[in-house]
Amino acid sequence: MNKKNIRNFCIIAHIDHGKSTIADRILEMTNAIDKRDIKTQMLDDMAIERERGITIKLNAVQLIYKKENEDYYLNLIDTPGHVDFSYEVSRSIAACEGAILVVDATQGVQAQTLANLYLALDNNLKIIPAINKIDLPSANIDKCIEELTNIGFDEDEIVKVSGKTGEGIEELLDKVITNIPAPEGNEDDPLRALIFDSEYDPYRGIITSVRIVDGKVRVGDIIEMMETHATYEVLGISIDTPKEKKVNELVAGEVGYIYASIKSLDDILVGDTITLEKNKAKEPLPGYKPMKAMVFSGLYPIDPTRFEDLREALDKLKLNDSALSYEPETSKALGFGFRTGFLGLLHMEIVEERIRREFNIDLIATSPSVIYEVVLNDGTIEEVDAPYKMPKPESIKKTREPFVKASIFSPSDYIGDIMKLCQDKRGEFINMDYLDTTRVQIDYKLPLSEMVFDFFDRLKSCTKGYASFDYEIEDYEESNLVKMDILINGEVVDALSVIVYKNFAYNRGKAVVEKLKEVIPRQLFEIPIQAAIGNKIISRSTVKALRKDVLAKCYGGDITRKKKLLEKQKEGKKRMKKIGNVDLPQEAFLSILATGENK
Amino acid sequence: MIGAYIHIPFCNRICSYCDFSKVFYNKKIVDDYLNELELEIKDSYQEEELNTIYIGGGTPSALDIKQLEKLFKIINTLKISKLKEYTIECNFDSITKEKLDLFKKYKINRISFGLESTINKNLKLLERNLDKDKVKEIINYCHKIGINNINVDLIYALPNETIDDLKKDLDFIKSLDITHISTYSLMIEDHTILNNKKTKNIDENLDREMYELINKELNEYDHYEISNFAKEKKYRSIHNYSYWENKNYYGFGLSSSGYLNNIRYTRTRSLTKYFNHDYMKDNGIEFLNTKDKIYYEIILRLRTKEGINLKEFKNTYHNDLEKYYDYKDLLEKNLLELKDNHLSIPTNLWYISNSIIVELLEGERNERAI
Repeated sequence: MNKKNIRNFCIIAHIDHGKSTIADRILEMTNAIDKRDIKTQMLDDMAIERERGITIKLNAVQLIYKKENEDYYLNLIDTPGHVDFSYEVSRSIAACEGAILVVDATQGVQAQTLANLYLALDNNLKIIPAINKIDLPSANIDKCIEELTNIGFDEDEIVKVSGKTGEGIEELLDKVITNIPAPEGNEDDPLRALIFDSEYDPYRGIITSVRIVDGKVRVGDIIEMMETHATYEVLGISIDTPKEKKVNELVAGEVGYIYASIKSLDDILVGDTITLEKNKAKEPLPGYKPMKAMVFSGLYPIDPTRFEDLREALDKLKLNDSALSYEPETSKALGFGFRTGFLGLLHMEIVEERIRREFNIDLIATSPSVIYEVVLNDGTIEEVDAPYKMPKPESIKKTREPFVKASIFSPSDYIGDIMKLCQDKRGEFINMDYLDTTRVQIDYKLPLSEMVFDFFDRLKSCTKGYASFDYEIEDYEESNLVKMDILINGEVVDALSVIVYKNFAYNRGKAVVEKLKEVIPRQLFEIPIQAAIGNKIISRSTVKALRKDVLAKCYGGDITRKKKLLEKQKEGKKRMKKIGNVDLPQEAFLSILATGENK
Repeated sequence: MIGAYIHIPFCNRICSYCDFSKVFYNKKIVDDYLNELELEIKDSYQEEELNTIYIGGGTPSALDIKQLEKLFKIINTLKISKLKEYTIECNFDSITKEKLDLFKKYKINRISFGLESTINKNLKLLERNLDKDKVKEIINYCHKIGINNINVDLIYALPNETIDDLKKDLDFIKSLDITHISTYSLMIEDHTILNNKKTKNIDENLDREMYELINKELNEYDHYEISNFAKEKKYRSIHNYSYWENKNYYGFGLSSSGYLNNIRYTRTRSLTKYFNHDYMKDNGIEFLNTKDKIYYEIILRLRTKEGINLKEFKNTYHNDLEKYYDYKDLLEKNLLELKDNHLSIPTNLWYISNSIIVELLEGERNERAI
């Protein structure tokens, strides 16, 4: 294959702007798949992805596109759009020479449009701006062109397309060929291949997606991971077209999959460089960074006997979700579970849902937490990622928490609401810019803990869904934080404890206690519910004892009816978690997220 | 000796809360129904001696004299020479002295009247009538002809009902010369007029308060089962009590239920099916193994004051109850009590008995432990 006919590119966009649909059309144009084989969003192969309409895992497909009697090999790498997955985006970007930047004609430039664009520019990618959904009546193409030219594109660079009808896709592919440079790199140099994804296959072990930057790799070669120093013999090499096609080698510039009977997850790090054991590269490729989980939550099986199943589920998920981290923890209330680290809230939701759906394990997830830093009186610093790890108040000198710089994009109508929300969330105003006459970018410094709490939902609701946002982690700063406990029937339920900003504790305590009162069904005894900081009760409420729970009449001796009713009641109880004498429904563990706002 | 329930699914009017199998009275259909009932009984009666008969509905008293006589003649084909209790349900609208005379002639010795309420707004909601003078007159006449065992049904916890309203109902019922009172807190069932009107249940606390008022007002009665009060122990309903004792009984007629040997069965609710001699409801048969029988033993007996007689239990099932269910914890928490080898729910907790029963059922031991 002639390297000058290879194009490695990705599609980047704000969430829901239609990347995956454009990818489908490109696959169709290049006859990679039959039309009748197309399920919408062909590249998203997990059921959840298709349901949610967002891409979680990235994919690489090689397509052959004929242009003026030349065969061009297009390696299309699909990327996720949500802020939680920006590291995954950066991995795919690093494997490309160019990117199609998709902007929804009905929504214009959004927060992650810019965030992803900057990421691509940082990696020296050639950008092809494309306005999508031009078939929609609500499309405002002129406004999009204006916004794109404002951020530095020429009007004649912009391609107008419709992922739905296929209009403009051919022009887009032509631009990919003419504007995106062919890969560089020397086939004769020592091998350097970037791992940009990995996936578990029950028959072949871990399969790594790689971009060969320099040199070549052949079946039978002994490869070495430059970060972990693990070595393996290459057993097979494939290209996704999107049907698997076996090849004997990959050379500089190409993208494909390598499998080598790799069973140990720890050996494969996304972002690491693969080289040959016998002819090692001097330097690994830049860009590898260990991923750092930002949000932590305890995951517990409702049925305690399924702890090992949960471990297995997490192990499996970790294989193609390297951002996931977990370690066993014990809760007095919930038994054995895992403290699990996520990139963000969406990532957390997706993982929880996959465990429920793909592994059929009913879960209780405790309130999400960030990593706090606690400076003790003796000067030592402790990292706290769970409320139960919080040291005793008397030993604490000061507490620190991570802050982010959040950029919010919104129609200017909602400036007031957004500013109020940010103030409520302890935000510090940084800057505001008008993108055009009707849209603004507002920058705030905010505690990450407030962002992971309910910021996104509230932002969406106060701007009717028009605002978008992106954030980057800044530094740790001092904050007055306390651990708030929830007592049910006089006992601290550790799974309900939470670290809160002290000035917010009273309101949070009240909201949580009220919410618990709402969701805990009446039981045989009265159940006191209290919120406390240390020994001080800051809020209380009571679930009154059950008053009536009896079937008055049996119809003409129809006893089976009574049995059915009791059986239903019994089943309902099984779905609850017994803590002491109290049956707590799953919702109780979500109550800790109650704020008392937006009622 | 076992009991027999006979269902008469006809009414002159449909009450808004009623979920029983019932249709509007129609002379021709009733005649056909009685013929079919006769066939059904011939088909399924196995010649056991009966100790109780309970004719329920619907409204059995809605039948005319001729039809009633036909019904009683059918019943006379059963072995009833040792009958202890013979009950018929009536309402005050359709009952007449002539019908009462007929009951007497056929040896009926207990009448259960649906009175439900005396308060006009309640009656309106229930879509019923009541003439208090007629109530007194009819009850006097029952005594005059020697039918002295009389029950009256009361429904409470109706939307907009007050404690005062309930007190008035109770005062009136207590003023009557009757031997038995059944009280039911309103349940809004699917497929009822109330449910169609999206009627809501009253507040749980008020419901409980009403229950407590009833207990207080009727404290001289023998409160032998959650919903039932007898003036003296001898006036307990033998037929209904046999349900709570998990005993066998026949069910005859549309939608009736029965329990014979190891089978609980339910008849169809469809008149069309019934008239085609296809009496059984789809999936209307439940075969019971020992475990199932014990399950019923618990959920039924725990509705009664006497509860589960542990000695009798052991005689029947050859094992102690605690071999099957672990209830020690419930005793410790005083959710169950043990008196004279009887395990029961304390009277003051009857109103939350479902939850207690569910707790007990959760204590089921696995088979290997038995």
